[in-house]
Amino acid sequence: MTAEVLKVAIQRDADRVDTFDVPAYENQTVLDVVSWVQQNADPTLSYRFACRVGMCGSCAMMVNGVPRWTCRTHISKVLDGNAVTIGPLRNLPVIKDLAVDMDPFFDKWIAAEGVHHGALTRDDEIAPIDETSATRVEANAGIECINCSVCYAACDTVAGNVDYLGPAALQRAWTLLNDAKDEGRTAILDAVSGKGGCHNCHSMGSCTAYCPNDLDPMSAIAGLKRETAKNFFKRGH
Amino acid sequence: MKLSDIERHDTDILILGTGGAGLFAALHAQQRAPEGTKITIAVKGLIGKCGCTRMVQGGYNVALGGGDTVERHFMDTINGGKWLPNQDMAWRLCEQAVVRIRELENEVGCFFDRNADGSLHQKAFAGQTADRTVHKGDLTGIEIINRLMEKVLASGVEKLQEHRAVGLIPTKDKSALAGVLMIDMRTGKFRLVRAKTVMMGTGGGPTMYKYHTPSGDKTMDGLAMALRAGLSLRDMEMVQFHPTGLLAGDHTRMTGTVLEEGLRGAGGQLISHAGQRFMFDYDERGERATRDVVSRGIYAEMRKNNNPEQEGVFISMAHLGPDNVRKKFKGMVNRCADSGFDLAAGKVEVVPTAHYFMGGVVVDVDTRTAMEGLYVAGEDAGGAHGSNRLGGNGVANSTVYGGIAGDTMGRDVAGMSLREPDEEVLSAELERTIYPLSRKPDLVLPLRKQLQDIMWEDVGVMRTEAGMKRGLKGIAKVSDALMDVGVESSNLAFNLTWHDWLNLRSLCDVSEVIAKAGIARENSRGAHFREDFPEPGAMEDSEFTVATLQNGSAVVKNEPVQFTIVRPGETVLPEGAPETLVAAQ
Repeated sequence: MTAEVLKVAIQRDADRVDTFDVPAYENQTVLDVVSWVQQNADPTLSYRFACRVGMCGSCAMMVNGVPRWTCRTHISKVLDGNAVTIGPLRNLPVIKDLAVDMDPFFDKWIAAEGVHHGALTRDDEIAPIDETSATRVEANAGIECINCSVCYAACDTVAGNVDYLGPAALQRAWTLLNDAKDEGRTAILDAVSGKGGCHNCHSMGSCTAYCPNDLDPMSAIAGLKRETAKNFFKRGH
Repeated sequence: MKLSDIERHDTDILILGTGGAGLFAALHAQQRAPEGTKITIAVKGLIGKCGCTRMVQGGYNVALGGGDTVERHFMDTINGGKWLPNQDMAWRLCEQAVVRIRELENEVGCFFDRNADGSLHQKAFAGQTADRTVHKGDLTGIEIINRLMEKVLASGVEKLQEHRAVGLIPTKDKSALAGVLMIDMRTGKFRLVRAKTVMMGTGGGPTMYKYHTPSGDKTMDGLAMALRAGLSLRDMEMVQFHPTGLLAGDHTRMTGTVLEEGLRGAGGQLISHAGQRFMFDYDERGERATRDVVSRGIYAEMRKNNNPEQEGVFISMAHLGPDNVRKKFKGMVNRCADSGFDLAAGKVEVVPTAHYFMGGVVVDVDTRTAMEGLYVAGEDAGGAHGSNRLGGNGVANSTVYGGIAGDTMGRDVAGMSLREPDEEVLSAELERTIYPLSRKPDLVLPLRKQLQDIMWEDVGVMRTEAGMKRGLKGIAKVSDALMDVGVESSNLAFNLTWHDWLNLRSLCDVSEVIAKAGIARENSRGAHFREDFPEPGAMEDSEFTVATLQNGSAVVKNEPVQFTIVRPGETVLPEGAPETLVAAQ
């Protein structure tokens, strides 16, 4: 990196952008740049982070218009000359500056039945599971989602339809559908075939393209579409 | 800001924190409490997202047969803690972990890695005599916390997110807890939440050190509140350092974050600036020695090198084959690459980093404290680990005792009513919290860095009486200087700088206790190493430190360890049991 000073434009609300001069360092993430502004230049700047290492999914923001984990994005990757623009994550209500309310994202996660439905209890032995079975491989594919909302922010269908459950919630539903331990098949298929369900997806693929964890929500949603269609015919509607 | 500006809110069971302890407490309280009991969960960040359970890499210690037993897990925990643990707590941890892991798999829906026959895969960390650690790859915490979070979000408990607890408010006669004063961080307004029972599980977190691993929200708020409320804290000198934290400069939040234990286990080498391996100079196990030993080895090398331009040492994996390293440690290699380092083929600068706090509030095996209505679990509670926590015992501890707290509160709440808060304490806590808002704004960060330097230099990996006394003076200076730093108060909504100030306030208060407890322990046990007292002392005469606040100043005394289950030199394992079940590497 050759720049000594970075020109950092931060969106404060719908019609206000503040620009800050931030010293450049060799090892510097977008989160470090945002933190520098709050700690040194403007103590009123609001943002959110927690783990610093890409495990908690708290710090995602729009960086030059693209949703990213800011803690794991080296500034050199996103600089345009010496400039960068940072805004709050798309498709979620802004609390203040760069901090958004993630509740709608989690409400949809639960609405998609994204929670274990089991019959066994703590008094039962743990069931043996073949990790190489096709369904377990499919379930494992989405299990490392950290619910950071990057896919939700990237999705144009979410932007156009407030009811749409979104890629992360639907991927969770698909994971559970393939989980041998989960007994919520009917509830899950009902939840994902409703008004905000998987059939809203136009397979534009932004979710898969932008997932920082290299997960593939688009294929998970395609799986749901097949299963709900099968279910529809089986039920003889 | 005055008392009448505080919004009053009532609930039956209040839980502070949403790590393994808080989330399990919420689920168990709901299962156990009488129908109609109102449960509220409050957290400084977002539910399940802040805190450290999510960051667990290694896994979950639990004896599940195959030769391993609760007795063996218990003995490893006692030996690892160098005979300082509260034995009844350690026993309950090991015994209940068996129930909790079945609950995690069967009721919460976690999926842990399997053997070829479909049974749970278990591995051994340093200090364990059996393959005991259940895991999901090296991202075990994400699986545990995501599944717990879903359960709690779907459970209908009341959520108070981005609510920071700032004071435990007792009743007028101080015999019981009436409620907790909080800042609704999103609006900057105050809220007093009264509850019949409160569980504190805010998760310790020794972030007062220059290099530290915990998430940014963790600043010892719980222990600072407990001190002010008059509670006793034990083992406060016991700070666990992880040997390999990333060193990337003091201007990046990446510095201090963990490069996982498994790197050394797999054959990773630690290299000095002179290009030499050095760990065999300190221990015959070399890089595979336990965390405390390797941390001290690295620290000693750093001191020898004494070059501010080249502060740390290097971890090198390339001799194992870069492609192999990339495959085996994908997450770590990617994380380093995102930060600009090549872990697979190059070398990465590392430094010991403050990781876990063994000290905490004195509790009984049911998580009750000396104050009626207050329960403490997880990293905020002391006793289960003694002087050193074994890898894999942290998340077991938080989930086991969080569940126990939920059960206990669920039972106790039936016989309790809401209590009237002491308005004088409430007023004092409010004043303490708004103190910086009426002073001239200045930067908070330079003082935080000063405290972190002092703790690292003088109350860190290797300690002396002279150093810790110097440290105490330094802490007092930072603490005083903070009182002259104001915070811009035109908008208190999501005002991070106000919270930075409050964070540093908590860290200063607890740092003083760490230094004083360190001075009080004149021997070397587990995580606490005294260069002026390098011997561990006689195990049968073991004492633990207990700190309380008296007239605004921390006072530390020593209490004898009660060997309620096993005495030093003895074992609860059957006669002739092998020393270890782990195959030699």
